[in-house]
Amino acid sequence: MNFPPVGSLFDWPSIWFEGTFFAINKTVLIYIGSVIITMVIFLLAGRRRETLVPSGIQHVAESGVTFIEESVVMQTIGPEGKKFMPFLTTMFFFIFFSNITEVIPVIQLPANSRMAVPATLAALVWLIYNVVGIRSQGFFGYMKNSLFPPGPPKALYIIVTPIELVSTFLVRPFSLAIRLWANMVAGHLLLVTFAILSATMWAAGGLGYAGALFLSWPMLILMIGFEILVSFLQAFIFTILTAVYIGGSMHPEH
Amino acid sequence: MTRRTRYIGWALGLGVAAGLFTASPAAAVPETIGSCVFEKLVELEESGSSLEALEEEGEEAVVAFSDDLEKCVEAPSLIIPEIDEIIWGGSAFLVLFAFMVWKGFPAVQGAMNARAEKIAADLDAADQAKTEAARIKSDHEAELAGAKAEAARLIDEARGQAEQVKADLVARANEEVAEMRARAAADAEAARNQALADLRGDVSEIAIGAAERVIRTNLDHDTQRALVDAYIDEVAGRG
Repeated sequence: MNFPPVGSLFDWPSIWFEGTFFAINKTVLIYIGSVIITMVIFLLAGRRRETLVPSGIQHVAESGVTFIEESVVMQTIGPEGKKFMPFLTTMFFFIFFSNITEVIPVIQLPANSRMAVPATLAALVWLIYNVVGIRSQGFFGYMKNSLFPPGPPKALYIIVTPIELVSTFLVRPFSLAIRLWANMVAGHLLLVTFAILSATMWAAGGLGYAGALFLSWPMLILMIGFEILVSFLQAFIFTILTAVYIGGSMHPEH
Repeated sequence: MTRRTRYIGWALGLGVAAGLFTASPAAAVPETIGSCVFEKLVELEESGSSLEALEEEGEEAVVAFSDDLEKCVEAPSLIIPEIDEIIWGGSAFLVLFAFMVWKGFPAVQGAMNARAEKIAADLDAADQAKTEAARIKSDHEAELAGAKAEAARLIDEARGQAEQVKADLVARANEEVAEMRARAAADAEAARNQALADLRGDVSEIAIGAAERVIRTNLDHDTQRALVDAYIDEVAGRG
Protein backbone atom coordinates (compact mmCIF):
# COMPACT_ATOMS: atom_id res chain seq x y z
CA MET A 1 0.00 0.00 0.00
CA ASN A 2 1.11 3.51 -0.73
CA PHE A 3 0.48 6.06 2.03
CA PRO A 4 1.11 9.78 1.62
CA PRO A 5 3.50 11.42 4.12
CA VAL A 6 2.09 11.89 7.63
CA GLY A 7 2.12 15.62 7.14
CA SER A 8 -0.58 15.24 4.52
CA LEU A 9 -3.01 14.33 7.28
CA PHE A 10 -2.70 17.83 8.65
CA ASP A 11 -1.77 20.03 5.69
CA TRP A 12 -5.04 20.73 3.94
CA PRO A 13 -5.18 22.51 0.63
CA SER A 14 -6.56 26.00 0.36
CA ILE A 15 -10.21 26.38 -0.55
CA TRP A 16 -10.30 30.12 -1.19
CA PHE A 17 -7.61 32.82 -1.73
CA GLU A 18 -4.93 30.23 -2.48
CA GLY A 19 -1.41 31.55 -2.53
CA THR A 20 -2.21 34.63 -0.42
CA PHE A 21 -1.71 35.37 3.26
CA PHE A 22 -5.45 35.10 3.65
CA ALA A 23 -5.83 31.62 2.17
CA ILE A 24 -8.69 29.74 3.79
CA ASN A 25 -8.42 26.02 4.32
CA LYS A 26 -10.16 23.50 6.55
CA THR A 27 -8.16 24.52 9.63
CA VAL A 28 -9.13 28.17 9.21
CA LEU A 29 -12.79 27.21 8.82
CA ILE A 30 -12.59 25.32 12.11
CA TYR A 31 -11.17 28.44 13.81
CA ILE A 32 -14.05 30.51 12.43
CA GLY A 33 -16.53 27.81 13.42
CA SER A 34 -15.16 27.78 16.98
CA VAL A 35 -15.59 31.55 17.20
CA ILE A 36 -19.18 31.40 15.92
CA ILE A 37 -20.18 28.51 18.18
CA THR A 38 -18.77 30.25 21.26
CA MET A 39 -20.49 33.51 20.30
CA VAL A 40 -23.83 31.79 19.78
CA ILE A 41 -23.57 29.94 23.10
CA PHE A 42 -22.84 33.12 25.03
CA LEU A 43 -25.45 35.16 23.17
CA LEU A 44 -28.16 32.61 23.87
CA ALA A 45 -27.02 32.06 27.44
CA GLY A 46 -26.96 35.79 28.17
CA ARG A 47 -30.64 36.31 27.43
CA ARG A 48 -32.75 37.39 30.39
CA ARG A 49 -34.69 34.50 31.84
CA GLU A 50 -36.86 34.15 34.87
CA THR A 51 -35.99 30.52 35.56
CA LEU A 52 -34.05 29.93 38.73
CA VAL A 53 -32.30 26.79 37.53
CA PRO A 54 -30.25 27.20 34.33
CA SER A 55 -30.79 24.64 31.62
CA GLY A 56 -29.59 23.78 28.13
CA ILE A 57 -27.17 26.14 26.48
CA GLN A 58 -27.32 28.55 29.41
CA HIS A 59 -26.09 25.77 31.63
CA VAL A 60 -23.17 25.10 29.26
CA ALA A 61 -22.01 28.73 29.29
CA GLU A 62 -22.51 29.23 33.01
CA SER A 63 -20.80 25.95 33.86
CA GLY A 64 -17.86 27.02 31.71
CA VAL A 65 -17.62 30.42 33.37
CA THR A 66 -17.98 28.94 36.86
CA PHE A 67 -15.42 26.27 36.03
CA ILE A 68 -12.89 28.86 34.85
CA GLU A 69 -13.54 31.03 37.88
CA GLU A 70 -13.41 28.37 40.56
CA SER A 71 -10.99 25.82 39.11
CA VAL A 72 -8.62 28.14 37.29
CA VAL A 73 -8.65 31.75 38.47
CA MET A 74 -9.34 31.30 42.19
CA GLN A 75 -6.91 28.39 42.42
CA THR A 76 -4.00 30.12 40.71
CA ILE A 77 -4.33 33.90 40.90
CA GLY A 78 -6.96 34.63 43.53
CA PRO A 79 -9.78 37.20 43.62
CA GLU A 80 -7.72 39.86 41.84
CA GLY A 81 -7.44 37.52 38.87
CA LYS A 82 -11.13 37.95 38.04
CA LYS A 83 -10.27 40.73 35.61
CA PHE A 84 -8.68 38.03 33.44
CA MET A 85 -11.87 35.97 33.38
CA PRO A 86 -13.02 37.08 29.89
CA PHE A 87 -9.58 36.36 28.45
CA LEU A 88 -9.25 32.95 30.09
CA THR A 89 -12.85 31.98 29.27
CA THR A 90 -12.33 32.96 25.63
CA MET A 91 -9.12 30.96 25.54
CA PHE A 92 -10.74 27.86 27.05
CA PHE A 93 -13.75 27.80 24.75
CA PHE A 94 -11.74 28.66 21.63
CA ILE A 95 -9.18 25.93 22.24
CA PHE A 96 -11.80 23.39 23.26
CA PHE A 97 -13.97 23.89 20.17
CA SER A 98 -10.87 23.88 17.96
CA ASN A 99 -9.85 20.56 19.54
CA ILE A 100 -13.17 18.76 19.68
CA THR A 101 -13.59 18.86 15.89
CA GLU A 102 -11.26 15.87 15.75
CA VAL A 103 -14.12 13.59 16.77
CA ILE A 104 -16.92 15.32 14.88
CA PRO A 105 -17.92 13.32 11.80
CA VAL A 106 -17.10 14.92 8.44
CA ILE A 107 -14.74 17.47 10.03
CA GLN A 108 -12.41 15.03 11.83
CA LEU A 109 -9.47 17.34 12.28
CA PRO A 110 -8.31 19.09 15.45
CA ALA A 111 -7.44 22.61 14.35
CA ASN A 112 -4.80 22.76 17.06
CA SER A 113 -2.89 19.92 15.42
CA ARG A 114 -1.69 22.79 13.25
CA MET A 115 0.91 24.90 15.01
CA ALA A 116 -0.59 28.28 14.12
CA VAL A 117 -3.02 28.83 16.99
CA PRO A 118 -0.99 27.12 19.74
CA ALA A 119 2.03 29.22 18.77
CA THR A 120 0.05 32.45 18.45
CA LEU A 121 -1.72 31.94 21.77
CA ALA A 122 1.52 30.97 23.50
CA ALA A 123 3.16 34.14 22.19
CA LEU A 124 0.18 36.17 23.41
CA VAL A 125 0.39 34.53 26.83
CA TRP A 126 4.13 35.24 26.98
CA LEU A 127 3.45 38.88 26.23
CA ILE A 128 0.63 39.15 28.75
CA TYR A 129 2.36 37.55 31.73
CA ASN A 130 5.49 39.61 31.16
CA VAL A 131 3.51 42.85 30.88
CA VAL A 132 1.53 41.91 34.00
CA GLY A 133 4.77 41.14 35.85
CA ILE A 134 6.38 44.45 34.89
CA ARG A 135 3.24 46.41 35.76
CA SER A 136 2.85 44.64 39.12
CA GLN A 137 6.45 44.68 40.28
CA GLY A 138 8.22 47.16 38.05
CA PHE A 139 10.75 46.07 35.44
CA PHE A 140 13.69 45.54 37.80
CA GLY A 141 11.56 44.01 40.53
CA TYR A 142 10.06 41.57 38.03
CA MET A 143 13.49 40.64 36.67
CA LYS A 144 14.93 40.26 40.14
CA ASN A 145 12.08 38.08 41.36
CA SER A 146 12.08 36.03 38.18
CA LEU A 147 15.82 35.46 37.89
CA PHE A 148 16.75 35.43 41.58
CA PRO A 149 13.94 33.56 43.33
CA PRO A 150 14.31 33.69 47.11
CA GLY A 151 15.33 30.52 48.87
CA PRO A 152 18.50 28.98 47.50
CA PRO A 153 21.95 29.91 48.86
CA LYS A 154 23.56 32.80 46.99
CA ALA A 155 26.22 30.60 45.43
CA LEU A 156 23.54 28.52 43.73
CA TYR A 157 22.32 31.52 41.74
CA ILE A 158 25.13 30.75 39.29
CA ILE A 159 23.06 27.73 38.31
CA VAL A 160 19.55 28.87 39.24
CA THR A 161 19.53 32.20 37.39
CA PRO A 162 20.33 30.83 33.92
CA ILE A 163 17.79 28.04 34.46
CA GLU A 164 15.14 30.56 35.48
CA LEU A 165 16.02 32.81 32.56
CA VAL A 166 15.61 29.99 30.07
CA SER A 167 12.56 28.41 31.68
CA THR A 168 10.62 31.63 32.33
CA PHE A 169 11.37 33.60 29.21
CA LEU A 170 12.17 30.99 26.58
CA VAL A 171 10.86 27.54 27.39
CA ARG A 172 7.44 28.50 28.74
CA PRO A 173 5.85 29.65 25.48
CA PHE A 174 7.36 26.75 23.56
CA SER A 175 6.27 24.17 26.11
CA LEU A 176 2.81 25.71 26.19
CA ALA A 177 2.43 25.61 22.42
CA ILE A 178 4.07 22.24 21.83
CA ARG A 179 2.10 20.50 24.60
CA LEU A 180 -1.22 21.42 23.00
CA TRP A 181 -0.07 20.88 19.44
CA ALA A 182 1.64 17.52 20.10
CA ASN A 183 -1.32 16.13 22.01
CA MET A 184 -3.66 17.01 19.19
CA VAL A 185 -1.30 15.59 16.56
CA ALA A 186 -0.93 12.37 18.52
CA GLY A 187 -4.67 12.09 19.01
CA HIS A 188 -5.39 12.65 15.35
CA LEU A 189 -2.76 10.07 14.37
CA LEU A 190 -4.29 7.55 16.76
CA LEU A 191 -7.75 8.03 15.34
CA VAL A 192 -6.50 7.91 11.75
CA THR A 193 -4.47 4.78 12.51
CA PHE A 194 -7.39 2.86 13.95
CA ALA A 195 -9.77 4.14 11.28
CA ILE A 196 -7.43 3.02 8.48
CA LEU A 197 -6.77 -0.27 10.28
CA SER A 198 -10.50 -0.94 10.54
CA ALA A 199 -11.08 -0.12 6.89
CA THR A 200 -8.10 -2.18 5.74
CA MET A 201 -9.03 -5.24 7.80
CA TRP A 202 -12.63 -5.02 6.65
CA ALA A 203 -11.50 -4.75 3.03
CA ALA A 204 -9.26 -7.80 3.45
CA GLY A 205 -12.31 -9.96 4.24
CA GLY A 206 -12.18 -13.36 5.99
CA LEU A 207 -10.56 -13.03 9.39
CA GLY A 208 -10.26 -9.33 8.70
CA TYR A 209 -14.00 -8.92 9.35
CA ALA A 210 -13.55 -10.31 12.86
CA GLY A 211 -10.41 -8.25 13.41
CA ALA A 212 -12.16 -5.08 12.33
CA LEU A 213 -15.34 -5.78 14.27
CA PHE A 214 -13.81 -6.98 17.52
CA LEU A 215 -10.41 -5.28 17.67
CA SER A 216 -9.70 -2.18 15.65
CA TRP A 217 -13.20 -0.74 15.47
CA PRO A 218 -13.98 -1.04 19.22
CA MET A 219 -10.54 0.44 19.83
CA LEU A 220 -11.41 3.32 17.50
CA ILE A 221 -14.57 4.00 19.49
CA LEU A 222 -12.58 3.86 22.72
CA MET A 223 -10.04 6.28 21.28
CA ILE A 224 -12.76 8.69 20.22
CA GLY A 225 -13.98 8.78 23.82
CA PHE A 226 -10.42 9.25 25.00
CA GLU A 227 -9.86 12.10 22.55
CA ILE A 228 -12.96 13.90 23.76
CA LEU A 229 -11.37 13.83 27.20
CA VAL A 230 -8.02 14.96 25.77
CA SER A 231 -9.68 17.84 23.92
CA PHE A 232 -11.17 19.12 27.15
CA LEU A 233 -8.06 18.40 29.19
CA GLN A 234 -5.70 20.21 26.83
CA ALA A 235 -7.94 23.28 26.74
CA PHE A 236 -8.01 23.23 30.53
CA ILE A 237 -4.24 22.73 30.83
CA PHE A 238 -3.44 25.56 28.43
CA THR A 239 -5.83 27.86 30.29
CA ILE A 240 -4.69 26.95 33.79
CA LEU A 241 -1.01 27.26 32.86
CA THR A 242 -1.74 30.70 31.44
CA ALA A 243 -3.40 31.60 34.74
CA VAL A 244 -0.45 30.17 36.68
CA TYR A 245 2.01 32.28 34.68
CA ILE A 246 -0.09 35.42 35.14
CA GLY A 247 -0.52 34.69 38.84
CA GLY A 248 3.22 34.12 39.21
CA SER A 249 3.89 37.47 37.59
CA MET A 250 1.39 39.27 39.81
CA HIS A 251 2.54 37.68 43.05
CA PRO A 252 6.32 37.26 43.31
CA GLU A 253 7.60 34.45 45.49
CA HIS A 254 8.41 35.54 49.01
CA MET B 1 -31.64 38.27 20.43
CA THR B 2 -33.37 40.05 17.56
CA ARG B 3 -34.66 38.26 14.49
CA ARG B 4 -32.00 39.97 12.37
CA THR B 5 -29.19 38.76 14.63
CA ARG B 6 -30.63 35.27 14.52
CA TYR B 7 -30.73 35.30 10.71
CA ILE B 8 -27.13 36.49 10.56
CA GLY B 9 -26.14 33.72 12.99
CA TRP B 10 -27.88 31.09 10.89
CA ALA B 11 -26.32 32.39 7.70
CA LEU B 12 -22.84 32.36 9.21
CA GLY B 13 -23.40 28.90 10.65
CA LEU B 14 -24.61 27.51 7.33
CA GLY B 15 -21.68 29.13 5.56
CA VAL B 16 -19.18 27.57 7.91
CA ALA B 17 -20.93 24.19 7.69
CA ALA B 18 -20.84 24.34 3.90
CA GLY B 19 -17.19 25.29 3.98
CA LEU B 20 -16.37 22.48 6.38
CA PHE B 21 -18.24 20.04 4.20
CA THR B 22 -16.34 21.06 1.10
CA ALA B 23 -13.15 20.67 3.12
CA SER B 24 -14.12 17.25 4.42
CA PRO B 25 -11.91 14.21 3.84
CA ALA B 26 -14.06 13.21 0.90
CA ALA B 27 -13.54 16.54 -0.82
CA ALA B 28 -9.87 17.00 -0.12
CA VAL B 29 -7.37 15.04 -2.19
CA PRO B 30 -3.90 15.40 -0.73
CA GLU B 31 -1.04 14.86 -3.14
CA THR B 32 0.44 11.35 -3.14
CA ILE B 33 4.05 10.37 -3.90
CA GLY B 34 2.94 8.65 -7.12
CA SER B 35 1.00 11.62 -8.42
CA CYS B 36 3.87 13.95 -7.52
CA VAL B 37 6.41 11.81 -9.41
CA PHE B 38 4.00 11.57 -12.32
CA GLU B 39 3.65 15.37 -12.41
CA LYS B 40 7.45 15.78 -12.39
CA LEU B 41 7.81 13.38 -15.33
CA VAL B 42 5.07 15.20 -17.23
CA GLU B 43 6.80 18.52 -16.53
CA LEU B 44 10.07 17.01 -17.79
CA GLU B 45 8.48 15.85 -21.01
CA GLU B 46 6.65 19.16 -21.48
CA SER B 47 9.99 20.95 -21.17
CA GLY B 48 11.12 18.95 -24.22
CA SER B 49 13.46 16.71 -22.27
CA SER B 50 13.33 13.06 -21.23
CA LEU B 51 15.03 10.64 -18.85
CA GLU B 52 17.30 9.47 -21.66
CA ALA B 53 18.20 13.04 -22.50
CA LEU B 54 19.08 13.68 -18.85
CA GLU B 55 21.37 10.65 -18.81
CA GLU B 56 23.03 11.95 -21.91
CA GLU B 57 23.44 15.39 -20.34
CA GLY B 58 25.48 13.87 -17.58
CA GLU B 59 25.49 13.03 -13.90
CA GLU B 60 24.75 16.57 -12.72
CA ALA B 61 21.47 16.71 -14.62
CA VAL B 62 20.45 13.30 -13.28
CA VAL B 63 21.30 14.32 -9.69
CA ALA B 64 19.37 17.59 -10.08
CA PHE B 65 16.30 15.74 -11.35
CA SER B 66 16.67 13.14 -8.60
CA ASP B 67 16.77 15.92 -5.99
CA ASP B 68 13.65 17.35 -7.55
CA LEU B 69 11.97 13.96 -7.25
CA GLU B 70 13.10 13.70 -3.61
CA LYS B 71 10.82 16.60 -2.80
CA CYS B 72 7.88 14.30 -3.55
CA VAL B 73 8.63 12.19 -0.47
CA GLU B 74 9.25 15.17 1.79
CA ALA B 75 6.34 15.59 4.19
CA PRO B 76 5.02 19.08 4.77
CA SER B 77 6.42 20.44 8.03
CA LEU B 78 4.14 19.80 10.96
CA ILE B 79 5.75 22.18 13.39
CA ILE B 80 6.27 25.28 11.25
CA PRO B 81 3.07 27.31 11.41
CA GLU B 82 1.56 28.62 8.20
CA ILE B 83 1.29 32.39 7.91
CA ASP B 84 -2.30 32.31 6.67
CA GLU B 85 -3.36 30.10 9.57
CA ILE B 86 -1.61 32.38 12.06
CA ILE B 87 -3.41 35.41 10.62
CA TRP B 88 -6.81 33.73 10.58
CA GLY B 89 -6.37 31.87 13.89
CA GLY B 90 -4.99 34.88 15.73
CA SER B 91 -7.61 37.26 14.39
CA ALA B 92 -10.36 34.71 15.12
CA PHE B 93 -9.21 34.57 18.73
CA LEU B 94 -9.02 38.36 19.00
CA VAL B 95 -12.48 38.78 17.49
CA LEU B 96 -13.88 36.24 19.93
CA PHE B 97 -12.06 37.92 22.82
CA ALA B 98 -13.46 41.33 21.82
CA PHE B 99 -16.95 39.87 21.58
CA MET B 100 -16.59 38.22 24.99
CA VAL B 101 -15.39 41.43 26.62
CA TRP B 102 -18.10 43.49 24.91
CA LYS B 103 -21.14 41.26 25.11
CA GLY B 104 -20.78 37.54 25.84
CA PHE B 105 -19.08 37.46 29.21
CA PRO B 106 -20.93 40.39 30.83
CA ALA B 107 -24.27 38.94 29.68
CA VAL B 108 -23.63 35.52 31.18
CA GLN B 109 -21.99 36.96 34.29
CA GLY B 110 -24.91 39.38 34.66
CA ALA B 111 -27.42 36.55 34.41
CA MET B 112 -25.49 34.58 37.00
CA ASN B 113 -25.21 37.57 39.34
CA ALA B 114 -28.92 38.34 38.92
CA ARG B 115 -29.78 34.77 39.79
CA ALA B 116 -27.45 34.80 42.80
CA GLU B 117 -29.06 38.05 43.99
CA LYS B 118 -32.53 36.60 43.50
CA ILE B 119 -31.61 33.50 45.48
CA ALA B 120 -30.10 35.65 48.23
CA ALA B 121 -33.22 37.85 48.28
CA ASP B 122 -35.47 34.79 48.40
CA LEU B 123 -33.42 33.37 51.25
CA ASP B 124 -33.67 36.68 53.10
CA ALA B 125 -37.43 36.76 52.55
CA ALA B 126 -37.74 33.17 53.75
CA ASP B 127 -35.65 34.03 56.79
CA GLN B 128 -37.83 37.03 57.55
CA ALA B 129 -40.98 34.95 57.09
CA LYS B 130 -39.56 32.35 59.43
CA THR B 131 -38.77 35.02 62.05
CA GLU B 132 -42.27 36.51 61.65
CA ALA B 133 -43.85 33.07 62.00
CA ALA B 134 -41.83 32.44 65.17
CA ARG B 135 -42.93 35.80 66.53
CA ILE B 136 -46.59 35.07 65.77
CA LYS B 137 -46.24 31.65 67.34
CA SER B 138 -44.74 33.10 70.51
CA ASP B 139 -47.53 35.74 70.58
CA HIS B 140 -50.14 33.04 70.26
CA GLU B 141 -48.48 31.00 72.95
CA ALA B 142 -48.42 34.03 75.25
CA GLU B 143 -52.09 34.73 74.49
CA LEU B 144 -52.93 31.09 75.14
CA ALA B 145 -51.09 31.15 78.45
CA GLY B 146 -52.94 34.37 79.42
CA ALA B 147 -56.27 32.83 78.46
CA LYS B 148 -55.51 29.77 80.53
CA ALA B 149 -54.58 31.92 83.54
CA GLU B 150 -57.74 34.00 83.08
CA ALA B 151 -59.84 30.84 82.87
CA ALA B 152 -58.23 29.48 86.04
CA ARG B 153 -58.83 32.80 87.80
CA LEU B 154 -62.47 32.85 86.70
CA ILE B 155 -62.94 29.27 87.86
CA ASP B 156 -61.41 30.10 91.25
CA GLU B 157 -63.56 33.20 91.51
CA ALA B 158 -66.70 31.24 90.61
CA ARG B 159 -65.77 28.59 93.09
CA GLY B 160 -65.29 31.23 95.80
CA GLN B 161 -68.59 32.87 94.90
CA ALA B 162 -70.33 29.50 95.03
CA GLU B 163 -68.83 28.84 98.45
CA GLN B 164 -69.99 32.26 99.56
CA VAL B 165 -73.49 31.71 98.21
CA LYS B 166 -73.58 28.32 99.90
CA ALA B 167 -72.46 29.80 103.22
CA ASP B 168 -75.00 32.64 102.90
CA LEU B 169 -77.78 30.21 102.11
CA VAL B 170 -76.86 28.01 105.03
CA ALA B 171 -76.67 31.01 107.35
CA ARG B 172 -79.97 32.36 106.12
CA ALA B 173 -81.57 28.96 106.51
CA ASN B 174 -80.23 28.73 110.03
CA GLU B 175 -81.55 32.18 110.77
CA GLU B 176 -84.92 31.31 109.33
CA VAL B 177 -85.05 28.09 111.34
CA ALA B 178 -84.12 29.97 114.48
CA GLU B 179 -86.68 32.64 113.67
CA MET B 180 -89.31 30.03 113.02
CA ARG B 181 -88.41 28.33 116.26
CA ALA B 182 -88.62 31.61 118.15
CA ARG B 183 -91.90 32.48 116.43
CA ALA B 184 -93.26 29.05 117.24
CA ALA B 185 -92.17 29.42 120.85
CA ALA B 186 -93.79 32.87 121.02
CA ASP B 187 -96.93 31.53 119.40
CA ALA B 188 -96.97 28.66 121.86
CA GLU B 189 -96.45 31.10 124.70
CA ALA B 190 -99.18 33.37 123.44
CA ALA B 191 -101.50 30.41 122.97
CA ARG B 192 -100.69 29.23 126.45
CA ASN B 193 -101.31 32.66 127.86
CA GLN B 194 -104.50 32.95 125.84
CA ALA B 195 -105.52 29.53 127.03
CA LEU B 196 -104.75 30.51 130.60
CA ALA B 197 -106.67 33.73 130.25
CA ASP B 198 -109.61 31.94 128.73
CA LEU B 199 -109.39 29.26 131.33
CA ARG B 200 -109.15 31.84 134.06
CA GLY B 201 -112.27 33.58 132.83
CA ASP B 202 -114.18 30.38 132.46
CA VAL B 203 -113.03 29.07 135.85
CA SER B 204 -113.82 32.28 137.58
CA GLU B 205 -117.28 32.37 136.07
CA ILE B 206 -117.88 28.81 137.08
CA ALA B 207 -116.42 29.34 140.52
CA ILE B 208 -118.49 32.47 141.10
CA GLY B 209 -121.60 30.72 140.06
CA ALA B 210 -120.78 27.80 142.21
CA ALA B 211 -119.85 29.93 145.19
CA GLU B 212 -123.05 31.97 144.93
CA ARG B 213 -125.04 28.87 145.08
CA VAL B 214 -122.96 27.33 147.86
CA ILE B 215 -122.65 30.09 150.40
CA ARG B 216 -125.69 32.01 149.33
CA THR B 217 -124.07 35.04 150.53
CA ASN B 218 -124.25 38.13 148.44
CA LEU B 219 -120.95 39.20 147.58
CA ASP B 220 -120.58 42.00 145.13
CA HIS B 221 -119.32 41.01 141.78
CA ASP B 222 -115.95 42.81 142.03
CA THR B 223 -115.16 41.25 145.42
CA GLN B 224 -115.93 37.78 144.05
CA ARG B 225 -113.80 38.33 141.03
CA ALA B 226 -110.85 39.52 143.10
CA LEU B 227 -111.23 36.54 145.33
CA VAL B 228 -111.20 34.14 142.35
CA ASP B 229 -108.26 35.85 140.69
CA ALA B 230 -106.30 35.58 143.91
CA TYR B 231 -107.12 31.94 144.03
CA ILE B 232 -106.14 31.34 140.42
CA ASP B 233 -102.85 33.20 140.87
CA GLU B 234 -102.13 31.03 143.83
CA VAL B 235 -102.95 27.94 141.79
CA ALA B 236 -100.83 29.24 138.85
CA GLY B 237 -97.94 29.95 141.20
CA ARG B 238 -98.06 26.38 142.35
CA GLY B 239 -98.40 25.01 138.83
